[in-house]
Amino acid sequence: MILSDQEVQFFVNTIKNSSGYDFSEYSEKSLKRRLQKILIDNNTDLLGIINKVKTNKVFLEKTVKDITVNTTELFRDPQIWQTLKYRILPKFSENRNINIWHAGCSTGQEVYSMMILLNELGLYDKAKVFASDLNTDALDAAKKGNYKYRFNIGYLDNFDKVIKENPFNYEEYNDVPYSKYFKIDKVTDSIQMNDFLRQKPIFRQHDLVHGGDLYFAKFDLILCRNVIIYFKYSLQNKVFKLFHEHLYTNGYLVLGMHETMLGEITSRFDKKGQAYRKK
Amino acid sequence: MYKAVVIGGSAGSFQVITKILSSLPKNFPLPVLLCLHRLKHVRSGFVEALSIKSTIPIVEPYDKETIKPGKGYLAPSNYHMYVELNKRIALSTEEPVNHSRPSIDLTFETAAQAYRDKLIGIILSGANRDGAYGLKKLKHAGGLAIVQDPNECQVKTMTEASLKLTTVDHIFTTEQIISFLLKLK
Repeated sequence: MILSDQEVQFFVNTIKNSSGYDFSEYSEKSLKRRLQKILIDNNTDLLGIINKVKTNKVFLEKTVKDITVNTTELFRDPQIWQTLKYRILPKFSENRNINIWHAGCSTGQEVYSMMILLNELGLYDKAKVFASDLNTDALDAAKKGNYKYRFNIGYLDNFDKVIKENPFNYEEYNDVPYSKYFKIDKVTDSIQMNDFLRQKPIFRQHDLVHGGDLYFAKFDLILCRNVIIYFKYSLQNKVFKLFHEHLYTNGYLVLGMHETMLGEITSRFDKKGQAYRKK
Repeated sequence: MYKAVVIGGSAGSFQVITKILSSLPKNFPLPVLLCLHRLKHVRSGFVEALSIKSTIPIVEPYDKETIKPGKGYLAPSNYHMYVELNKRIALSTEEPVNHSRPSIDLTFETAAQAYRDKLIGIILSGANRDGAYGLKKLKHAGGLAIVQDPNECQVKTMTEASLKLTTVDHIFTTEQIISFLLKLK
């Protein structure tokens, strides 16, 4: 089923007029693909979806969730986590508090990665961890902290690389048992995060499109990874400004491996790899 | 004249692609979009391996990067790589398509929408059917469809799947692909 740009626009306008959600500044290609998938999964055409969205709030919410992409992993891109471990988080070790915001946290794997790393660095107690996403189903999954084992077996390699190994000293090996942080059950195919980790983060629904003050707080570190790839340049810029406002000076913003900041806003940050430090 | 080349490959394509990239002139006039499958756990090192052999610079692009002639754009591992209509790269972490992320079908389909009849698409050796649908889309949009000669492929599944779905313009050996690309202006 091929949708025209006008049809996608029609859908975006309908959602906008029927709810508080606005996808008009989402990247065209992925938005169109998501919408095509929704039509196929619901076995209907565009008008069918439009009519249902207009008359059925539950369906509208579900459609909005289906538009969002929720791919995430524990310690996705270990090199970024090594940067956090050796270069960024130690800078906050003298702070009284460390405020961290996972913007677009999806099902929470990176929130747990962060807390595990903080605990290993002895910074767990002084850290406040905030995590937000548009998709409340994803947030519910994040709160549960339960993931499929088989599907995510690569997590353990990533954990080893970040927590057990030291890329600067191959002789160093920290034999941290997985059970310190999560329980693996191969029979029920599950990885369950331990309760002490689950209790810490403050999860909230939040739409980056609207910005606004979510937590009435400033942050030392904001992680927003593989979220802005779904936004057009104009919306990316708004989001970067929002992050800039909510960072302390010398606070860090960490993006996905293939995301980058463009335009005037870059002058307000120092960039090193995927980490941007607020000037 | 043509505005871009898009190449898809999987098992058995690495040597072919390095041979092609090492034969291009430094001032090759078109961008080369590369969508190649690789092992999920081999996330880095691939672009370096290609760069060593290639005469044109090869990058794993950033999202929204502008596509420029004379440069190779390798779909980053674990991302789909699209071409937006404004000739910029778009990346996505959506579900794998036919078990593949990056998906050759998606790179080909979106490149075809952006470049229409100004696009050359080449499908190389591979062990699955990814790319066949994308090449069909490319051909449908007026692009030029080339498939590596299955008799030369280490694994023919991908090229044969493409040939089954589309009447292509050329079935070429690696050498023929290279001499064809060298004639482009």
